[in-house]
Formats: sequence, C-alpha cells, structure tokens
Amino acid sequence: MIEILQQIVNGIAIGGVYVLIALGLTTVFGILGIAHFAHGSVSMFGGYLTFFLVAGQGIPLVIAIPVALTAGVVLGMAIELLAYRPVRKASHINAFIVALGLTMMVEGLNLEFFGHEQVVIPTSFDRVFNIGGVTLPELRLYVILAAALLIAAMTIFVERTKTGQAIRAVAENRDAAILMGVNVRTIPLVVFAMSTALGVAAGIMVGALFAIAPGIGEGLVIKGFAVLILGGLGSIPGAIVGGIVLGITESLAAGFVSSAYKDVIAFLVMIFVLLFRPQGLLGKAS
Amino acid sequence: MKRTISTLAGAAVAALIAAQPVLAEETLAIGVSDALTGGAAVYGLPQANAVKLAASEINAAGGISVGGETYMLEVIAYDDKGNPTEATNAVRKLIDRDGVKYILGFCCSGATGAVASFIEYEDAVMLVGNAAERSITTREIPNLTRTRPPADYTGAAAGAFVAAKGHKRVAVLGALDVGFYASYVDAFEKELNKAGGEIVTREAFALKDRDMTPQLTKIRGLEADALLVVGYVEPAAFIYRQSVELGLDLPRYGFTSGSEEQFLRVATSEQMEGVWDLRPTELTLLSATENGIAYHENYAAAYGISPSPSSPYAYDQTYALKDALEAAGTVEDTAAVARALRELAVPDEVVMQYLPIDGKMFDRNGQAYTSNGAFQWRDGNWTFVQDLPSDPVAYSEFLSTLD
Amino acid sequence: MTRIAVSLLYAGALVVLIALPQLISVKYYLHLSILALIWLIVSQGQNLIQGYTGYVSIVGAGFMGIGAYSTTLMGMHLGLPVWLTILLAPPMTAVFALIVGYPSLRMKGHYFAIVTLAFNLVIFIVLLNFTELTQGEAGITGIPKPAGWLEALNFRDREVYYYFVLAVAVLTTGIAWAIVRSRVGQILMAIRQNEDLVGALGVAAWKYKLFAFVASAMFAGLGGALYAHYQSFINPEVFGVAQSLDAILAVIVGGSGTLAGPMIGAFIVIFLPEYLRFADSFRLIIYGLLLVLATIFMPRGIVGLAQDLGARIAGRR
Repeated sequence: MIEILQQIVNGIAIGGVYVLIALGLTTVFGILGIAHFAHGSVSMFGGYLTFFLVAGQGIPLVIAIPVALTAGVVLGMAIELLAYRPVRKASHINAFIVALGLTMMVEGLNLEFFGHEQVVIPTSFDRVFNIGGVTLPELRLYVILAAALLIAAMTIFVERTKTGQAIRAVAENRDAAILMGVNVRTIPLVVFAMSTALGVAAGIMVGALFAIAPGIGEGLVIKGFAVLILGGLGSIPGAIVGGIVLGITESLAAGFVSSAYKDVIAFLVMIFVLLFRPQGLLGKAS
Repeated sequence: MKRTISTLAGAAVAALIAAQPVLAEETLAIGVSDALTGGAAVYGLPQANAVKLAASEINAAGGISVGGETYMLEVIAYDDKGNPTEATNAVRKLIDRDGVKYILGFCCSGATGAVASFIEYEDAVMLVGNAAERSITTREIPNLTRTRPPADYTGAAAGAFVAAKGHKRVAVLGALDVGFYASYVDAFEKELNKAGGEIVTREAFALKDRDMTPQLTKIRGLEADALLVVGYVEPAAFIYRQSVELGLDLPRYGFTSGSEEQFLRVATSEQMEGVWDLRPTELTLLSATENGIAYHENYAAAYGISPSPSSPYAYDQTYALKDALEAAGTVEDTAAVARALRELAVPDEVVMQYLPIDGKMFDRNGQAYTSNGAFQWRDGNWTFVQDLPSDPVAYSEFLSTLD
Repeated sequence: MTRIAVSLLYAGALVVLIALPQLISVKYYLHLSILALIWLIVSQGQNLIQGYTGYVSIVGAGFMGIGAYSTTLMGMHLGLPVWLTILLAPPMTAVFALIVGYPSLRMKGHYFAIVTLAFNLVIFIVLLNFTELTQGEAGITGIPKPAGWLEALNFRDREVYYYFVLAVAVLTTGIAWAIVRSRVGQILMAIRQNEDLVGALGVAAWKYKLFAFVASAMFAGLGGALYAHYQSFINPEVFGVAQSLDAILAVIVGGSGTLAGPMIGAFIVIFLPEYLRFADSFRLIIYGLLLVLATIFMPRGIVGLAQDLGARIAGRR
C-alpha cells in the first residue's frame, strides 16, 4: 500500500512538469492552431538562463527567476512575430515545419551558449519529509506547489481579465471575435508571451528538480503533446488532468510492470483512451 | 533576404576553402568522427577536443617524423551526432572527399558499429575511443583498434569484487537498453552466481530519464542487500541522490565513470558518501599519473572546463597513431600503419594505464586493456582503493574466440 | 506548363540520374545519392498520406525500421535469400501498418499526427529493448548484400547498388503516379479537400485513408530494407522520430501533393545537412534557420515556387 502511495507521489512531481509544458502548448494550439514543437527547447533555454544567472553570475534565485521569465516573454513574442506570423495564412503543416526549424536553432544556440554538460540549478532545499513511510523531498513539494500556483494564476488570467476573455473569444470563434472588436493582431503575441513564460517556469523546475541537457527539451515536448491530446487539444483542464494522469501512469508502470517499457505503456494508455474518446478526456467533440 | 543568401553563400565558399586540407608536403590531415551535438556530445565533444589537444602538442614538439619528412597534424572533425547514418556520411566524406586516411574519435557504439561494418574495405585506419560495445573488436578487423576495453571485461572483475564483499541479493538499476551496459551486468551476474549470489531485479532507465524514484521505490520493497548502478553519469548521479531521498539504505556500487564535478552538480557529497565505482582506471585526479595531471591541466587551460574521465581514450589514440606512423615509416600505406599499431608498445605519453598483452598495447583483435579499479567516494572525492582482479590475457583469448 | 514540357523535364531528370555515377568522381557523393534515392522512395510514400490525403503521419521512419529489421531478421533466422526478404519487407510492414493505422485513422488532424508519433516511439523503444531479437542499440552488423548474377553485377560495388536503388525508385515513383491518377487518388485528394463531403457522397473514406496509410508504410518498409542491405548495419537510432520528421520535411520542402516534390525534397534533406558540415557546431542552427526561411518564402515548396515562376513567365509573354 505504501508502495502504491509512494509511486503516486513520485508521479505527481513529474506530472506537474508535464502539466506546465502542456499548458503552454495547449494555449498556443487552442488559440492559434500551431503545434509549437520548439516549446521544449525554448523552455530549456529558460532553465539554462536561470542556471547561468544563479551559478555563473551569483544572482539570487528570487531575482533570477523573474529575469528568466521576462526573457521568456520577450523570446516568445519574437518567435510569434518573426517566425509564426509570416506563415499564419499557410497550411498548419508549414507552421509545424517552422517549429522544427526553430527547435534546431534553439537547441543549437543552447549548445553554443551553455555547453554540452548537463546543468542543475542549485537550490538549498535538501530536507526530506517522511509522512507515514511515504518520503517526499522538500524540493519536490515546492515544485508541486509552484506548479499548482502557476496553474491557478493562469486560470484566473484567462477567466477573469479582459485580455483573458478576448483570448477565449478568439479561441471560440475567430470571426465573431473580430466583429466584437477584439484586436486579433495582439492576441497571438499575448498568447505566446504567456505560453513561453509557462514553458520557462517548467524549464526552471526541470532544471532544479532534475537537469537540463541537450535533447531533454525534445523529450519533454513529445510528452507535452501526448498530454495535450490525452486531455483534449486546447483544453486547459484537460492539460491539467492529462499531465497528472500521464505522470502517475509512468510511475506505476515503471514500479509495477516494466521500467524498460514504461513509456510504451504510457503511450498505449493514451492511444487506448483516444479509441474511446477521440477528442481526449476533456476535449469537446467536434 | 538576397543579401543574407549571398553572405551565407560567401561564408560557405570561404569555409569550404578553409576546410580543404592544404596538402603541403609537411601536413597530415587526420579525421575525427564523433558526436559534437545532441545527447551524446557530452562524450564526443571532449574526445574531439582531446585529439585536437594531442595534435597541437605533437606539432609543438616538432611534428611526426616519417621517412625523413616531418609532418604537422591537422585535425578535421565532423559531427556524427552518435547516429549511424551520420557517422557513415562523415567517414565517407573524410575518406572520399578530404582524402583522410586516419580516423579517430568514436564515442558511441551505434555510430561506431556502422563505420566498423565497412572500414575493412577502405584504405584507412580507424581508431575507436570510448565506444564500449564488445562486438566492435570481435571480428579482428585488421585496420581497427580500440583504446577502451569492452564493458564485460570490467563487469566480470566488478562481480567478483562485490561477491567477495559477501552480498547475496543485488538489485540492478541501469541503462540496460545500451548494449555494453547490459553486457557489464551479464558478466557481473556470472561472477556473482559463482559465489552463490543473485541479481534480484534488473530495472532500466532511458538516456533522458532523470526521475528514478519509481524504480528505486520498487527496489526499496525488494529487500536487496546491495544496489548496482550502471549507466551514463548524468542519469546515474540522480539515482544516488534519489536513493538517499527515498531512504534506501544499501551499499551502492556503480559503473558510471563520472568525475567529481559531474556528480556534485547533481548530488551533495553526503549523498554520494560511500558509493563505489568499479570501472577501468580512467582519469581521476587522485589516481592520475604525471601524464594524467598534465593532461588535466592542459585540457582545462585550452577549453576552460575539466576533461571528462573518458576523454583520454581519444588523446591516447593520437599518440598511438603517431608512434605507429613513425614505426611504419609511411603515411601512405595504411596497411603498414595498421600492422604497426598491432605491434606497438604502449606510448610514453598516454594518460590511461594500459596493461600490455605480450608487451603490446593492442592485442590481435586490436583491443587495448586498462587496469580496472575500485574507487570509493570519500569526503567529496573518488578515492582509488584497490585494483580489481582483472586478467587481460585471459579476456583477450576469450575475445578471440567470439565472432 | 504543357504536358510535353513536364514529360521532358522528367525524362531529363532520369537521364541525369542515370549518368550521375559517371559524372561523380568523389565516391562520397555517390554514397549520398544512394541515400537520397532511398529517401526518395520513403518520401513518395509519405507524400501519399501527407501530401495527397492531408494526414500528417509521423511514423515513417518507424516503418522503415520494420522493413529494415524484417528483411535482416528473415535473412538471419530463416536463411531466405536477400532478394526474397527485400520483397517480403513491404508486406511485413503492411501488417504493422494495419495495426497502427486502424486506431490512428479514427483521429484527425493533430490528434492523428501525435498518435502516429507515439507509435514511432513505441517501435523505437521496442527495437531498443527487445534485444534478444534486435540486438538493441549495439545494432546488427554484417547484413549481406543481394547476391549478384554475374561477375560484373557485384552489389558491393556502390555503382551497382546505385543503379539497383534507382530502378526501384523509378518503379515506386511509377506506382505512386498510378495511384494518384487512379480513382483512388481522386478520392484521396477529395478527402484532403473535404472529408465530410466525401462521406456524405456515400464513399467509405476510412478504407481509402487506410489504403493510403498502408501504401505509404510499404514504401517506407521497402526504403528501410534497401537501407539495411546498403549500409550493412542497422540499429534503432536510425529509425527514430527525427528521421520521420525528415520524411515530412522532404515532402514539404520539395512540394507537397506533387510527384516531383518528394524527389527534390529527398535530395535536399540528404545533401543540405552534409553541405553544412563546414559550419561545424553551427550546422544545426543554420539548417534550422534555412528551414524557417524556406517555409516562409516558399510555402508551397520548390515545385510550387517553380510553378509560380513558370506561370509568371508565361503571363509576361
């Protein structure tokens, strides 16, 4: 019993990271219809930048994080303006190819700037809590809490603010939104700013809890897409549920079935769910 | 847009000219095919750096003297991303287009296996570094040598060591999808079984995994009396950290070959305390010879970062090639150079501690052997504790029986 | 452009391809040309499902892997001759494609793309971990070449292998052409335009989609088999998602939904990264940048660009 509980606790931390990655992807997808494959590499850039500020420049973590988030916002907007906006009228697959090109560029730049060695963002949280036999490292707890906080903040932004309502209006019906006077030129910028900031936050968490290294971002973005369609494309609650489900599934699969095939099991679960709900767990049927 | 393209084209032309080896009489181009980008770059890039470092040292010391002529080395390094197709392309380019006959590097088994499958038919010599898959040297390819010993050679020694410590139930957590790690565990298991011990579980992780808590949680419930960790240092370091976080109180043994710096990035020294690493006696400062200390200093000065423990395999290749060229007295006749490599004594400049076979660096399979050592983490450092009982002569015989 | 002009272009391209080994003095380029022709076969298949039917499949390299491993393993364990195992590779791949295609094609758009990507990962992980069968990451080495008939026809000779692959590439391109020109091809293109409408007309669209998917997989399986016997070495690394993305790139950059597009695209995805080797560690960055620029400035690929230029010249006249 303790083992099952422990495995679920193990899965929630990695699931929280998946949720954050998927939230960034799902907003971009839901509103702009872009499969933003470069999201993982951009997230890793944010993690690397934080590491550079903290470990290289001696800047405290509480300052480095907002700096990295701001850099993420700027980078996200630049990507929208320079790379995606020119192909917005073309077929979706073109935006996907742009995303592939961006992935290579960002991966290459990460390697040039930050080197090939894996980096871990140093933190001072090294206590371990033991709750009735289930162990929970302090850092994992904070990562889970921070992810929850960010998810709440994003939900409030989308549900309660004017900009958020405009974003939802565009997502619901683009033409009607234009008629209602929503500025559809700035919405993509806002969406990319928000999405990239979430990605950078995920990158920082991965960097603190695990590590950032060449190739890690691409692995994460594939998991992010899996979460996305598991939960339902464009659905924010779907990304949250999907991420946690995937994280726990992997953990249980590794612990009780086979660690070599844990990803295979997770993907097969995803495909199995889609057989019965082709629109994902919480997606709207088209 | 037009200007970008013409600038790019200009740069391309300039670079193509620069890449063209200027075959003045006194320059010998040697090639490197290795992972310079992607996940394997952490092994490939240091190897490429090590070859360049050795080449510049050789040049500074007056070059290579072959048949009365003196040659300066020029290194052409191509990225193969550790991918078999890319490695084939890179080597084809080196041989066919750049006219290179001596190719070094090769950190990773897949890419190396692909090149090894055709190198026999080429007018070239291939020197393999860090790639540890055994089958690379089982076919006695005459123009191929390898500085790193196969993993099972070390695994057997490690198994005997752990069995002698009295462990009976060993849990394994490893990168078991990588062939040479699996063969280390197989050889380990054989020795352990001889002493009446057993492996109670084989748990796997993938190269990009950093969360090992599911596997460790399972191991926690198995009542094992020792943990064996085999895999690349980046994920392995997380196993050591997370095993402590999960309260797993077991003697921990490993085959990871990471430097202190690489482990301390991930885990604290307290979390590492007491961990054993059972591996070829690779570069660690505390066990290093004079050559090793100098290598560490020069590498750090040239590249601003400490050399990875396995990078000397590539450094040593370069000196082996130098001695072989000088002994053969030719840079043109690759067959003669390949024969000279097989006859070579261990060069004075090498960093690793090779155990010669019949006085030669490479056996007839083209395989070199280093000593194996047991290292233990004590107060922030890998401390050399003892040699592992290894028998290169017997292993060499065994290797010759495989095909 | 008139039909005759187009036919002349194809004939010209074929003549160049036939003469190519005689024009190449550096064998490295012959090696790349063989790889490019193998990619041409894979890309023609990819074009059927992606370009003509409008379903972006990300499992092309996975199917290459199934073709490559099935020809290799049948040769190793059943002792069948290479010719036969190469011929059996596409039907073997088709079996897997049916299993993968049935659930995947219940989904559309991005759902389909990501589910196929997941299948590619599944294939990759199984190839990596099922070491008893596949020898895992270490790979299988010494895969035999096809047996030649005469002394002159030795498949170790790269020139001979080049002509062999060229013949297969011409044949598969012919098959792709025949499919596209047939009623099936018309329905596939109608599905791309408006799948609901096709369904409303009483056509069982799923049968046609499954046909396109399985056909594309057979092309990939054949390409994989040719790859295995050419390189004489395979391991799972070659059949990962990155290579599936290359197949998609080849179709898009060349010109999606055209017969010539994948031909041009296949040569670009093989040769361009090789030409960029001079750039050393900047190679990835430059390649990515070129992709972004090409997609922005040539949204319909090279064939589309050529058509636009052709139309403009014709208009001016």
